[in-house]
Amino acid sequence: MTTATSVHTVARMTTNHTSAIRVENLVKTYPGGVEAVKGIDFAVPPGEVFGLLGPNGAGKSTTVGMLTTTIAPTFGRAHVAGFDVASQPIAARQASAVVFQEPVVDRSLTGRRNLEVHARLWGLDAARTQKRIAAVVDPFGLGEVIDRAVDSYSGGQRRRLEIARALVSEPEVLFLDEPTVGLDPRFRFELLDLIAGLRVRAGMTILLTTHYLDEAEQLCDRVAIVHQGRIVALDSPAALLARMGRELVELRVDGDVSRMVSSLRARGLADDDAFAVGATLHLPIHDRPAREAVATITDMGLGVTAITSRPPTLDDVYLQLTGERLAA
Amino acid sequence: MTAVTGTITRDTPTAARARSRTGGLAAVATLARRRLAISARTPRELLIPLLAPLLFALVVVPALADTFGTPVAGIDYMSFVAVATIGLLVPLSCMQSGLGVVVDRLGGGLRDLLAAPVSRPLIVVGNLLVAVALSSLQVAVLLGAAALRGAKYDLSATGVMWFTAATLGFAVAMYGAAEVLANRLPTQEEYIGALPPVAIVPFFFAGSFFPISALPAGLTLIGKLLPITHVLALVRYGLVDRNGAGLHDIWGMGNTTAMAALSLGVVALFAVALTAAAMRTFRRTAVR
Repeated sequence: MTTATSVHTVARMTTNHTSAIRVENLVKTYPGGVEAVKGIDFAVPPGEVFGLLGPNGAGKSTTVGMLTTTIAPTFGRAHVAGFDVASQPIAARQASAVVFQEPVVDRSLTGRRNLEVHARLWGLDAARTQKRIAAVVDPFGLGEVIDRAVDSYSGGQRRRLEIARALVSEPEVLFLDEPTVGLDPRFRFELLDLIAGLRVRAGMTILLTTHYLDEAEQLCDRVAIVHQGRIVALDSPAALLARMGRELVELRVDGDVSRMVSSLRARGLADDDAFAVGATLHLPIHDRPAREAVATITDMGLGVTAITSRPPTLDDVYLQLTGERLAA
Repeated sequence: MTAVTGTITRDTPTAARARSRTGGLAAVATLARRRLAISARTPRELLIPLLAPLLFALVVVPALADTFGTPVAGIDYMSFVAVATIGLLVPLSCMQSGLGVVVDRLGGGLRDLLAAPVSRPLIVVGNLLVAVALSSLQVAVLLGAAALRGAKYDLSATGVMWFTAATLGFAVAMYGAAEVLANRLPTQEEYIGALPPVAIVPFFFAGSFFPISALPAGLTLIGKLLPITHVLALVRYGLVDRNGAGLHDIWGMGNTTAMAALSLGVVALFAVALTAAAMRTFRRTAVR
C-alpha cells in the first residue's frame, strides 16, 4: 500500500507560487485537426473568481479539461495550485475539483454514496468524509433527498449534488464548467448566490466558464473573453465595460454600414471603437450625452430605420471584439 | 422545492492541508466498492447472468445426459458438461460487467473518476476485482446447483487449486477483453452485438459438450488455440477428470501435471495480455 503522503509535501514545480492557476501558451488540437484552443495565457491569483466567457465552441470547456487533466494538451504548460498538470497530474487533481458541464453523477447510487465515493477518492478518511458530507448537505438543500437514488432527483437537485460533491474535498481550486446550464431561474439565482459565497466564506480560487454575461458580471473578479480558441480580452468586468463608454447608441441602418460609419466619423459622432454587427451600427458614447448624439444623427437624415441608446453590457464588449453574439 | 440556504463551512487551511493523497489500495477499494454498488444493487443483477448457465446445468445438461448418457473419458456426461458450463458463465458475467464501463463512459461517471487524484489504471483494476468477484460467486452457485442435480466432483486440494487458478485466470482474461471492447466500441448496442462472438461462440469449439478430438481436424486445431479450451480442460482436471483427458487432447504429452501447468500458463498469458491491453486501451481512449 502506498504510504499516505501529504499532497503538500510533493514538490511544486513553480518556484514562484503566487498563482492558483497559471496557463502558458496552452494549445489543444483534436484528432482531425480541430483547433479548440490556440495558445492562451492567463494567471489567476489565490482567492480570485476568474471567468472564461464565450459562446459554445469557444474552447472554454477544453481549457477546463486540460486544467483538470481529463484532456491532454497538445502544447504549452499549465499549473494548478502550483502543480504542473503534465508532470504532476495527480497532485494537481488532488488540489482541485471540477463540476463538469454535463451531468457526471452515478445515477443509480444515492446522493450520499456519490459524496462518499468522491471524498474517499480525494483522500478523506471515513470520519472526515461524514463530517464533510454533513457540512455540505444542508447548505445545498439536499437534506431530504441525500439518501435517495440520484435517478429520482430533479435537474436542479442533481446539479446541486454535483457542486456539493466538488466541495466535499475542500479543493484549493474549483472549476465550474457552465454550472447553471439547464437550471430554472430560481435555482440559477440561488446557485449563483451560493457560488458567490464560496469565495467569501471558503476563500477558494474559482475558475468559472459561462456564456451568461450576468453570471460573469455578478461573480467574477476578472473575465477572459474567449473567441475561437483565443483570449481576446482580459480584465475586470467593470474595466471591460468602461471601454464602451457611458452609453451605447444603436443604429439600424438601411444601406451601406461602412459608408454610414465614415459619415459619422466625419461629423465627429463616431470614434475608432464604433462597430457593426450585420445591419446594426454600435456607437460607444464617451464624452457627451447619448440623447445629444441621437438628436444629431436624426437631424442628419441618414438612412437610419431605428435608433436607440442604452447602457453597454459585456455582450457589447464581446460583439465589439468578435462581431458575434454570445448566447443564442 | 427546497431552497439553497445556509453557509458552506470549510476547515482551517491547516486541517485541509493535512489531507492525505489516496493510497493505491485505498483507491482500489473505493473504486471497487463503487463498481459493486452499481453492478450488484439488487439480487436481480446477480441472478440474470446466471440464468443461461443455470438453465444449462439444471435442464439442458441432464436432458443431454439422459438422451446420450455415454460417459466421456470415464466421466459421467452430467458432470462432464456441468463443469464446462463455467466456459459460458464467466464470459457472460464479465461481459455484463464491461457493460458498466460503457455506461460510465456514456453516462458521464467516468469523467469524475478521471478527475480524481488516483492513478488511472487503478480504475480498471477496481472494475476487474468486482468482475472477478461476481464471476466467482456465480461459479460457486452454478457448481452447487449442478451438484444438486447430480453432478459428481472428485475433490482434492490440488484439484481445487487447479480449478481455482484456471477459473480466476479465465475471469481476468475475459474481463480484460470486455474492458477493451467497452472502451473501443462507441455504443451499448455495438457492445451487446459483440457479446455472441466473444462470449458464446468459443464455448462450442472448446470441448464443452464433447472432447475437441471429436471435432474435424481443422476445428480441433482452432480449439487448441482458444484459451477457453485450456480452461475447460483444467477445471475438469481439477474437479472431475483425474486423468486429464482434456489436457491430453490438447498437448498429447505423458505428464499430466506438466500439461496442466502448460495450459495454466496459456490462461495466465491471455490474462496478462488482455489486462495490459485493457489498461492501454483505457489510457488511450479515456483522455482525449
